This record gives sequence, C-alpha cells and structure tokens, in this order.
Amino acid sequence: MFEKNRQIDSHIRVVTPENIGFEYRVASPFERLLAFLVDAIIMLSVVGVAGLVAMFVFGLFGVLGMGIGVAMVSWFLVTWFYGGVFETLWNGQTPGKRSLRLRVLRTDGSPIDAGQAVLRNFLRIVDSQPFNTYLTGLLSTAVTRRYQRLGDLACGTMVVAEDRSRAVRFNEINDVLLTPVDNMLPPGALPSRTLAKAISQYVDRRRYFGPARRAEIARHVGEVFAEQYNLPPSVDHDALLCVLYRRTFLTSRDDEETVLESGSHPTLAPEAFREFELPA
Amino acid sequence: MKAAELVESRMADWRRLEQGCLRLEHPGRQRLSTQQRVEFAALYRAACADLALADAHQLPAGTVRYLHQLVGRAHNQLYRSRKFEFRQWYEEMFQRVPQRLFHDGYLRLAAAVFWGGFLLALFLSSKWTPVPEFAEAVLTRDGIIGLEEMYSEPLWESGDATGAEGLMWGFYIFNNTSIGLRCFAMGLIFGICGLFATVFNSIYLGAAFGYMTTVPQGENFFQFVTAHGPFELTAIVLSAAAGMRLGFSLVDTGGLSRFDSLARAAKLSLPTMMAAVVMFFLAAVIEGFLSPSPAPYEAKAIVAMLSTLMLLTYLVVLGYSDAPPTEEDTLLDW
Repeated sequence: MFEKNRQIDSHIRVVTPENIGFEYRVASPFERLLAFLVDAIIMLSVVGVAGLVAMFVFGLFGVLGMGIGVAMVSWFLVTWFYGGVFETLWNGQTPGKRSLRLRVLRTDGSPIDAGQAVLRNFLRIVDSQPFNTYLTGLLSTAVTRRYQRLGDLACGTMVVAEDRSRAVRFNEINDVLLTPVDNMLPPGALPSRTLAKAISQYVDRRRYFGPARRAEIARHVGEVFAEQYNLPPSVDHDALLCVLYRRTFLTSRDDEETVLESGSHPTLAPEAFREFELPA
Repeated sequence: MKAAELVESRMADWRRLEQGCLRLEHPGRQRLSTQQRVEFAALYRAACADLALADAHQLPAGTVRYLHQLVGRAHNQLYRSRKFEFRQWYEEMFQRVPQRLFHDGYLRLAAAVFWGGFLLALFLSSKWTPVPEFAEAVLTRDGIIGLEEMYSEPLWESGDATGAEGLMWGFYIFNNTSIGLRCFAMGLIFGICGLFATVFNSIYLGAAFGYMTTVPQGENFFQFVTAHGPFELTAIVLSAAAGMRLGFSLVDTGGLSRFDSLARAAKLSLPTMMAAVVMFFLAAVIEGFLSPSPAPYEAKAIVAMLSTLMLLTYLVVLGYSDAPPTEEDTLLDW
C-alpha cells in the first residue's frame, strides 16, 4: 500500500500479491496530454471514415439521411465509449496510451475492470471543463499525490508510465587510471550501504560530465574519504569514487571480502554494518 | 559474491522475462505456449525475489531501477483487466439496479422535482391559469413563435423521402444521450447545478406543453411528442438522479473521506447511468421513426402506454424489495 510520508518524487510504491513492493512512475500530465492528442486524432479519423462510408453506402440506395444518421451514431459511440472499450480490452491502454507507454491501473496496482474503464472516460467531460481546456483535470492532478484527475478519483485509478530501460551492465571504468589510488587506499576501506548507492548513481552518470564537473561533484564525498584514510589532499576524487565503486560492486578479490563475507551467505545482510562516519 | 557477478548470473533470466513481456504486450503476435507461460510466472517470481533482496545484495541504483520497471511490466501482463461478462451485467442490470433505484432517495427527489415542476408549469400556462403571462415569461416571445412555426403543419408532410427518419434517429441518439451523460457527469462538481438544471427543464417543458394546449398547433405537437415521451423523460430524471448522487456524495460523506465517498457513489451510480443510456437509445428509435410518421394517434398513444408499463415493471416489479442490495454486493469492486 501507499506509504504517505515516503514519497518525494513521482514514484508510487505498490505491493504485489507476492508481497513484493515495487515502484511505478506516475505519468505526468504532459505525457497524458500527448496520449490524448494521439487518441483524438484516431477518433476523428475513425468517425470521419465511418461517416463517409455510411453516407456513401446509404446514398447509393437513395437514403442519404439514414447515412448521416448512422454517421452521427458512430460519432456518439466513439466520443463516449472509445476510451472505455479500449481500456477494457487492452488492459488499461488506449492506442494513444500504448504509443506513449502509459497504462491505467487501480491505485493498488491491480488492473482495472470494464466499469472503471467506462466511468473514468464518462467523467472526462468534467475534467475537460471549462470549455475543453482541461483546467479542472490539470488542477486535480496538481493537488493529488498520484496525479489523478476527477475521473480517476471517482474510479480509484491512476495512470502510470511503463519505462522500458534495458538491463544495465556494470560500468567498466577505462578512462581513468585507478591502480595508483587503489594502492593508496587500505584494503578494508569500503563505503557504507547508502553511500555505495549514491556512488553508484554518480558512476552511472559520470560519463555525461566533463572533467571539471566531475571534480566538483566528486569532491564532496572524496574530500571526506581522503581525510579519513590519510590520502594526500591532491588525490583525484573522481578516481577515488571509481575505486570505491569497483571495490563495492565489481571485483571480488579475496582480500577485500573481509567485511561483506562475515555472514558468508550472500542473501543475508552482513552482520557488521559498515557505517560511513563523518569525521568530527 | 559481488553485485557484478550476481547481476551477471541473473541477467539471462531477466532478459528472458523481458522477451516474454514483449510478446505478451503485442497480442497480435504468436501467443505463449503453456510451457512458456509457466516459465513466465516463474521468471516473474524470481525477479520479485531479486528485487526484494536488492538491498541485501547491495545492487547499485541503476540495477534496482531496472528491476522496478521490469517487475512492474511483468506484473501488468500477469494481472490483467477482467473482460466484460454478460451474465454478471445481466444480474446487475435486471436485479440489483432496479432494486437500488426502488430505494434511491435521489431518484425520488429528482422525480418529485421534475414532475412537480412540470405539472405546476403545465397548469400555469394552460387556459385555466391564474397568471396569464406565465407562458410568455418562461418561453419568451421568440420561443413561442418558433414553437408555433415548428408545429404549424404535420411533421410527415414537411419531410422529403431521403431517409430523414434515419437522420433524426442518429441526431437524437447523439444529442439527447450526450445531454444525459453530460447531466450525469457534471453532477460531480455541480450537484446543486444538476438540481437547478432539472428544475429549469421541468418548468420549461411544462410551460411548452401547457402553452401548446391553448393553440391550434397543439395537435401536431402532441402527435410528435407522445410516443417517445416516457422513455426520454424518465432517462433525463435518471441521469439527474445519478449526477446528484455523485455531487452530494462530496457533501454528505457518511463518515468516509471525500474521495472514498465519491468513489462509492460513482460505483453505485454507473449502472443507473447505463440504464438511462439504454432508455435514451430506445427513445431515439421511437422519436426518429414513429413520432414523425403519419401513423394514427392511437398507435402512438399505445406505444407510450406500453413503454410506461415497461418502465413501471422495471422500477417497481423488478425493483420491489424490502431493502436495497448491500453495497458490497455489486459488480464493480473498487
């Protein structure tokens, strides 16, 4: 279930029937606008083509009025039931949502049913007020945690983005010379868990930065580490963080396993919790 | 074991799960065999376990992010939306909805307001009125002229033979049903305005009906409106009642939070609204094909009586019960 005080960004935590918590990124109003525009174009072309075909066929039999009538019925059906039918059949997606990789889910992460799909699209008319500007819906998404419009609130649904990143390989660090820094650092020097996480984020992104920017970012952690282990102040902080990254995640030379392997079972947390302490 | 080795050993399974997701996301392509489905579920559970232990394994942030989206993607393929089930909807529409409507306070309110206003306005603009200028005040001078012109000759003499009935049928479905759905949806923010719209419609319609009894064009007017009246007016009252339920759920929450209260009201009012949509369709068929036809007035009156009988059967015979079905006993469970 949603934990109220944990959210600081647009990720929503969901617990599966397997009792695993995982996170969804809630779709932004802008993504939803794009999806809606794609849907609107599809709806317009479907109504246009169906109307022309109906008018042509019935016109051949001399009852053009019947053709216009059928065209209007198709207009009615498409405008009111397009979203509901697609979101039922396509598991919470319309063509527009599929093209932008969005999906409608219940707020607990389970799939929506036909009633929810139909109702949240009926209530679209309220969200599009005033004058089809969608200001009501925008206001509603702005003040709710899961970016829900009024139709979503009434149905207990939310729209999430399905990001598709490929599996990430570990970063091979080839561009800086690590061995000198590695030799300076004592074998047992490892970052704490949370710090290791932060360092991994830095290393994931460092290839997008130039040398000056790297030095600037790496300095904040590097300086503290250098002082703790009596490294010379001129040490390359970027290389230092790379060494720590490599020690934590990549290499498994036996002499470095001392701390992590205290539990000997890989699925268990190490008994001795490594804490990174700021020098007083 | 270091994180890199762990990830290296699990990567093959994650890739296979990704492949499975890709194939399930495009239902047009070849379907998964039974064997592959079993494997998909196993891979999903394995990925769940990897995610749960990500912290213990000290996986880096990028890998955790990847696992979150992989598990989410597979979760959406494993747990899918339930399809429309005819039997369940039949029970909902012909057993629980009439029973709910039978006990629905908002429907009684909407019906009382609508028919009360209608009959009052009808009386005030008929020839027995104590306020002779009432009809003109409500309908305006231009409205009265337009009404008189519209019904100055029988409708079937003005139409050409190019399928005008079909045109009007389509127009009525599009126009009237949209008005009903709009009335329902707008009830969400304007519960009070829905009430206002109901009052306005009832007074305006009542005045038009009453005024038409005093002029010679009245015969054509009643030729047109009689047959489809019951379905259309009932559908409007139903839409208004469903909309009011939405709007007032935000005011009278019954102890729930406002959003929960709204969700409960929405769940209860959607089937009512579907009943109203069906009535609008029936009314549009009658209004498009029978009402403007030269069929004798008696035939139209019989259709009106039959449809009234059907509505009474639906609301009273099917709906008669000691208490409304419990809220848990509903097709929609959110």
